Amino acid sequence: MMTGKRLIISALLLALVQIGFLSSIIVGRAAILRNGKEVLLKIEPVDPSDFLRGDYIILGYEISRIPATMIANIPADKLSSDDTSIVVRLKKGADGYWTPTTAWFGKAPMPAAADEADISGHVTQGWDLREEGATIAPDYGIERFYVPEGEGMAIQNDIRVRPFGIRLALASDGTAQIKALVDGDKTLFEEPLY
Amino acid sequence: MASYSSRVRSDIARWRQAGLIDAATADLLARDVEANERKSLSFGTILAMLAALLFGAAILIFVAANWDAVPRLARVASLFAVILGGYVGGAVLKTRDHAAIGEALWIVAAAAFGGSIALIGQMYHLSGDEASVLVTWGAATALAAVALRSNPLTVAAVGIADGWLFLKGFDYFTRTAFPHAFVIMAVVLFAVSFWTRSQPARHLIILSLLFYLVLLAMHQATLPVAIPLVIVSIVLFAAGVLAPEPVDRILQLDGYLPLHALLGFLTGLAVIQFELADQSTYDSGFTIASVIALAGIVGAIVLAGRESRGLRWLAYLGFAFELAMIYVVTLQSMLDTAGFFLAAAVLLGILAIVIIRVEKRIRGPATGGATA
Repeated sequence: MMTGKRLIISALLLALVQIGFLSSIIVGRAAILRNGKEVLLKIEPVDPSDFLRGDYIILGYEISRIPATMIANIPADKLSSDDTSIVVRLKKGADGYWTPTTAWFGKAPMPAAADEADISGHVTQGWDLREEGATIAPDYGIERFYVPEGEGMAIQNDIRVRPFGIRLALASDGTAQIKALVDGDKTLFEEPLY
Repeated sequence: MASYSSRVRSDIARWRQAGLIDAATADLLARDVEANERKSLSFGTILAMLAALLFGAAILIFVAANWDAVPRLARVASLFAVILGGYVGGAVLKTRDHAAIGEALWIVAAAAFGGSIALIGQMYHLSGDEASVLVTWGAATALAAVALRSNPLTVAAVGIADGWLFLKGFDYFTRTAFPHAFVIMAVVLFAVSFWTRSQPARHLIILSLLFYLVLLAMHQATLPVAIPLVIVSIVLFAAGVLAPEPVDRILQLDGYLPLHALLGFLTGLAVIQFELADQSTYDSGFTIASVIALAGIVGAIVLAGRESRGLRWLAYLGFAFELAMIYVVTLQSMLDTAGFFLAAAVLLGILAIVIIRVEKRIRGPATGGATA
């Protein structure tokens, strides 16, 4: 049996370690929101039956499907994808929305230009890379938007009739953090830092 | 139902009255029984645990509701306060002899940690899957179990690992790899359970590993999983029956190793039988598996049935399952089934006579006198 004082001290340490761990996630995310490069992505209509689950909206982007031909560094003998990270280079279009130009498995070989930004994602194993018109579907960790309970349905219906966008903050390593949900020119939900 | 200790106490009183033992011996025996009495879960402990689980569920659902009347920073702060208050308050109560309520508070704190991860995911719209959230939560709970040396927190960590296995194991839709990491989790938690003296966690881990193996057999190869499972189960059963003392000193399962081994044996054979069932007409594999299963059940009862009522009941259950299985599979030819059952009946009848005689002979001298 542990002595009384030691038990209380380890409980205190434990609580501080756990709270510290959780706080570090919050601080890291807030840092991306504050300092990250801002880009705007168009949301694509998602199959309505799969659109709203509970209290979040599932978001699809143009970069959610990357054509295999866009990936610049596929080795010649590679038939299907490994479980790996992917970097997608985005470029700002005339309409303000950012679109993908090139992608690399692993890391980008050269830094992005001023009007470009890199977003990093994750690819699961087994995507066909050789078939005609093959695409892969990376995850970027930005595929959900949580809304207050009950408000999801209205947004879901609106997204199907007019373009919505997501404003992102991108850290220098490409980690993406959702900043706001925008409806045309109007910002619907803007996330505070904390 | 009277517990063992209260029955022994009344026996001691009777022996004392009958003059079999003197007052000093009676006192020594009574004190020994009291000292070694197994602490069973009291009603209050169970209620405290239930309250803690309900409280934890309330926290998680409150987070999920994403109620925007409370600013989210206030929600984070209150969850952090529950973590701090739960762990420290629980420790204080535990040192002041309120162990049950203290442990319950720790469970609440662990739930608040899970709620905090969910809330942070919600605040920053992190779309990482639920499975990875469970891994973080389970690791934090295991850490808490180690730091506080807590039996309930160890069980909770195993439960979270099970939840992860369940999510991953039935996740047919996304391209996730089979959750082999569960074996690592099980080994780590098994080691933790010795430090936290959590026998329930060990039992749960063994059952979970069986569930993992069944999943593995379903997803991938059946026989290469099931046949080693049967063999390992037989070995463990033999070890548990032949050398109960040293084996239990190592595993500390309170003598339940044979019970787990029998369950593993039956599970493995059931998987084999399901695999071979549709070729039973032209292949003798199913029949062989059935014979092994029945022989194993009878063997388990003979070798370990007398010491363990739980094992006997599991054996009867397995026996009933086998009869049903054999009947369904060999239904296409009733005559074969009838023949098999007839042979089995004769064999079991003979065995029954043998067992009854053996048990009588073993018990014979013991009933002779109380002085033995």
